[in-house]
Amino acid sequence: MNRVATWAILGLTLTFLIGPFLIIVIAGLSAGDSLAFPPQGISLKWYIKVFTVESFQASFAMSMFLAIFGTLAALLLGIPAAYGMARYRVPGAEFVRLIVSSPIIVPGIIVGLALLRYLVIPTGVSIALALFLAHTALILPYAVRVVSGSLDNLRVDMEEAALLLGCSRMGAFWRVVLPNIRGGVLAAFILGFVTSFNQVPVSLFLSGPGVRTLPIDMIAYMEINYDPSVAALSALLAVMSVGIVFAAEKFLGFSRYV
Amino acid sequence: MSDFVTLADLTLAYGPTVAVDRLNLSIAQGELIALLGPSGCGKTTTMRAIAGLLPPKSGTITIDGRDVTRLAPAKREVGLVFQSYALFPHLSVYDNVAFGLRLRREPDLDTKVRGGLATVGLADFAARLPADLSGGQQQRVALARSLVMQPKVLLLDEPLSNLDARLRLEMRMELQRVQQETGVTMIFVTHDQAEAMALADRIVLMKDGAIEQIGSPEQIYTAPETGFAADFVGFETILRQDEGGALAWRPGAVVLGSGPHNGTVRGASFAGERREYVLDTPLGVVKADTPVDVPAMKIGQTVAFDLPRDRAVRLARA
Amino acid sequence: MFENRTIGLALTVPAALFAAALFILPVGILLSEAFKGDNGFSLMAYVDFFSSPRNQTVFFRTLKLAGLVAVVSAVVGYAAAFCIVSLPAKSRGRMFGLVTLPLMISPVARTYAWLVILGRTGFVNSMLVNMGITDTPFRILFTETAVFIGLLQLFMPLMIISLVSAMENMPRDAIPAARILGANWFQVFTKVILPLTREGLVVGGTLVFTGSMTAYITPAILGGSKVLMLETLLYQRVTVANDFVAASVIAMILIVMAFSANVLLKQIATARRTRV
Repeated sequence: MNRVATWAILGLTLTFLIGPFLIIVIAGLSAGDSLAFPPQGISLKWYIKVFTVESFQASFAMSMFLAIFGTLAALLLGIPAAYGMARYRVPGAEFVRLIVSSPIIVPGIIVGLALLRYLVIPTGVSIALALFLAHTALILPYAVRVVSGSLDNLRVDMEEAALLLGCSRMGAFWRVVLPNIRGGVLAAFILGFVTSFNQVPVSLFLSGPGVRTLPIDMIAYMEINYDPSVAALSALLAVMSVGIVFAAEKFLGFSRYV
Repeated sequence: MSDFVTLADLTLAYGPTVAVDRLNLSIAQGELIALLGPSGCGKTTTMRAIAGLLPPKSGTITIDGRDVTRLAPAKREVGLVFQSYALFPHLSVYDNVAFGLRLRREPDLDTKVRGGLATVGLADFAARLPADLSGGQQQRVALARSLVMQPKVLLLDEPLSNLDARLRLEMRMELQRVQQETGVTMIFVTHDQAEAMALADRIVLMKDGAIEQIGSPEQIYTAPETGFAADFVGFETILRQDEGGALAWRPGAVVLGSGPHNGTVRGASFAGERREYVLDTPLGVVKADTPVDVPAMKIGQTVAFDLPRDRAVRLARA
Repeated sequence: MFENRTIGLALTVPAALFAAALFILPVGILLSEAFKGDNGFSLMAYVDFFSSPRNQTVFFRTLKLAGLVAVVSAVVGYAAAFCIVSLPAKSRGRMFGLVTLPLMISPVARTYAWLVILGRTGFVNSMLVNMGITDTPFRILFTETAVFIGLLQLFMPLMIISLVSAMENMPRDAIPAARILGANWFQVFTKVILPLTREGLVVGGTLVFTGSMTAYITPAILGGSKVLMLETLLYQRVTVANDFVAASVIAMILIVMAFSANVLLKQIATARRTRV
């Protein structure tokens, strides 16, 4: 195939996949009061306004909290699990792997509903806690998968060498294993963070007064308002995600791990 | 003191699979022992058990009079140089060598690390990372890392297998020198009989999880006791005898061109100074060679040969 | 490999328990609700669900849209993947990065963009009006077309990724060899490329299909209550009618579909490993 055809096909595909982002970036720059394209005049007012909307501030904080601490909790559970499966003869290891990876198979909306109905309502657990637990469980499979990948690339005899030089099992893990899977752990954190931050279905049913994740809040906002602020916010979030992934790729070679 | 290290009725298993069956072995202090055998013979498994990385199913291991069978690897005063070297990639050469000493809170750390690096000729490489070193250098770091701990026994897993021919010779001399200087008892594992012959004071030849023969390189080379041992050291023609036992000849000991027997040439190959032949004979397969100045024989050709009794070794079993 | 089972279990059990308690147990209870009848076990909920014409419409629409998105992704994906693979190594990496980029961006942002493009005062209608093609803006939002476009943009990258990796694993000389033997491009595709990338096609296809089946945001924003899909129907049944039995039935449908796709993928993955 010749070069012209190649670039024409790629150009069209990329326009379809990435063009819409350029459009929301521009739509957010509107000076008018309702969403339109091309925008009515150019201003930064909507980009500034999104920082002053109180519900956005609260839900952004909530999403940040979930993404950071949910991912940390998932790593806290996932790293030992991945290590255990990689290094020990665990009875029923395949079963454990299946259970731990089940959150990938079950659509999030169902999990959110089930947790609302059988955890939040009967036990009176707060929605924020339920959200945290749900996000942790959701990220767990990614944490296990990425960390397992790193561990598979780490030779077991390095740990044995550490044992012979005086380490305990635990000591060998801290001194030799962890420093060498740091990249994988960091990649798992970034993947978990982005996944949690962008997650909608799990959080659909798990929202209450003042407790909402940012994406849910954006959907709720756009049901009532037809102004460009969600466009501005979407553009900012897109830039944030892309920035994180770009930095991760540059400093870490992110794509090696996921 | 010929029982510095003893293995008594040692049985080792991976899950239900028995890899080494009731092995008995005594090693003297300062000895350089080779565990020799093909892959799967249990030599590496035995070494791992001595290091404490594989708990024995039964039997005991003692080192310097102390029963270490149930001790953790760290408490055995044993060093191990892994086949892959197993250096810590995130630590510098210096920190790799200092690793065990730090855990031990060694007061004299810097002197010992520098000394260890000097011993293996890597004093100038302290700040490098393992990834920046050649294979041979990495192995010497691994050696230094074990030696600075002043182990009672140093185990080496296939120490020469990852090196090219020139480095192999260098490392062989290095190991002998270290052994002379430190007097440490060394046990190394290898599948290469030439390597074992060249390095070891005593060779433990293993097969299928059991010891086939123990002896000095000369003993094993000149007086193998079994068919397996004989084949391993180059007695390639092995004939079972009616009265039990067997006789074995090296290819050079077989007389070609005259003699009471006849055989058909099945394979012929040129090997520099010799020509090597495989003969099909009524007695069995015979492997022979001749100097190159003897004219070559063709495949399919019938040839007379003799198996002189005085050049055969007598084996207890084929 | 270390032998100590106790340590191994101590390391893995917390994660397994966590996932079991927070995922398997609640979801299991939810699924069981649809099987409860007046006298114990019953399939009436399923019969009821599928006898409603509206539910049938939603069910078949979901299958249709997901299938259509998978097919169109495959067609476009083959063209795009083939172009990407034919690039020199450096621009290939960059292009691959650009294609995967959308996957990292919030689906809300991704779907919202189509609101801007397809809305009454959006990009497409403005263009049409300006060019004088129409006076009254077209209604594109809240149609199956809008949902289809949104889903296609959301999931096509998964197909392209799968096909690019499949094509990179093709023997390098397969295509020139076929050309030399006289095959035209159509024959090259059907006789060489397609058979050699079939696994990638199946992997990509299942990812796109299940992704579209279980998508919520796109049908919610671009389809609204006019173009319901299974997930938006589930949400509506719960929030509007408090109908947990219908929710349970839909949940079962979605899980069965997603699970079978996963099993299929795993089988392909293992088949590939054993063959090499």
